[in-house]
Amino acid sequence: MSTNARSSETRSSETLSLYREWVASPITDPPVYSVVIPAYNESERVVFTIGAIATHVSGLGQPWELIVSDDGSTDGTVGLVEDLGLPNLRVVSDGINRGKGAAVRQGMLAARGDYILFADADQSTPITQFELLLEPLLHGAAVSIGSRAADGATVANKSGLRTALTKGLNLLVRSAIGLPYLDTQCGFKMFTRSAVHDLFGRQLIDRFSFDLEVLFLADRLGLDVAEIPVEWIDAPGSTVSPAKVALEFLRDIAQIRVWAAQGRYDTIHNKTRSGSEERKTLADHNYSSSA
Amino acid sequence: MQITTTHPQPEVAHSLDLVGRFDAFEVPSFDDIIASLPSETGQTIAVDLSQVEFIDSAALASLVRVMKRQREAGGDLILRKPSDPVRVIFELTKLNAAFTIED
Repeated sequence: MSTNARSSETRSSETLSLYREWVASPITDPPVYSVVIPAYNESERVVFTIGAIATHVSGLGQPWELIVSDDGSTDGTVGLVEDLGLPNLRVVSDGINRGKGAAVRQGMLAARGDYILFADADQSTPITQFELLLEPLLHGAAVSIGSRAADGATVANKSGLRTALTKGLNLLVRSAIGLPYLDTQCGFKMFTRSAVHDLFGRQLIDRFSFDLEVLFLADRLGLDVAEIPVEWIDAPGSTVSPAKVALEFLRDIAQIRVWAAQGRYDTIHNKTRSGSEERKTLADHNYSSSA
Repeated sequence: MQITTTHPQPEVAHSLDLVGRFDAFEVPSFDDIIASLPSETGQTIAVDLSQVEFIDSAALASLVRVMKRQREAGGDLILRKPSDPVRVIFELTKLNAAFTIED
């Protein structure tokens, strides 16, 4: 066995050991990291994503929690996640389908970590990119956003339609709302807890364009935002409808400007939760069990 | 994902090394390679998963199909050295008990 192979095997053994501790008992210290997975009808993918995230983040050796923020799934996603019985995995849900923006907000406000990541359920940005986003936060930034367009990003399997949509949206964003980012929509963003309070406490949009609203707010509040090139793979089974998203964007850009002019963003209206609204029993909702 | 077929070993007829992400995009290539392997009754296929970073439901379903086919023919599918995330996914889905896994 080569030296590299041996050190890799040792790392692997440590990671697996840390994962086994994480699944065996609740963490006793407050979490340093929280990872939030927004989920709507993700019964085919969510367990795989949980496995990948749990392995990698446990391997970092800090107390952490995983939150699946359900958006009113009807395919048994909630039951599937709860049946895993992982002590540091929470499901938050009120059983109503509102949109990704609402699901992310719900999960972010329930998170207790010092550094809070939301990551799409399809693992299109692999969780191995976690440390890339963490680094700027450790050096003073408030927000790190994964970017598929920044120099150094790698993008695989992306369809021509989705490429065109992303470029169009980013052009629209930069010209219509004055944000400097090359990619506002990557579903892999990390925040300090304070930034979560300031941003998701004000965020109002329940749909896909919530990213844009959050970055608009960060810009207004003068928060330091780092745009980090990431690896991105267009995962099969995307639930995003490009035409619908484009129309929502146009409407929401106008809405953000109106709300800003009306002072709707001047105060915090969504409170950080202690977890009291977590789902306790599956029987509270009529979810399908056809996972 | 890269797929490399290696020389037969005494205990297995065919050995495949997979590298990268094994998901629905990659399943057709994997299935094509499996289908192209010369088949004999009772043969065993080994798949090395030590360099696989992520596996999804489509890939897992493909492995289950291969396992069933090989066992029905009197052979087996052996999964070798699964990486940590892949091992954990097998455990969470409880399919670790169904496969022959070698470290």
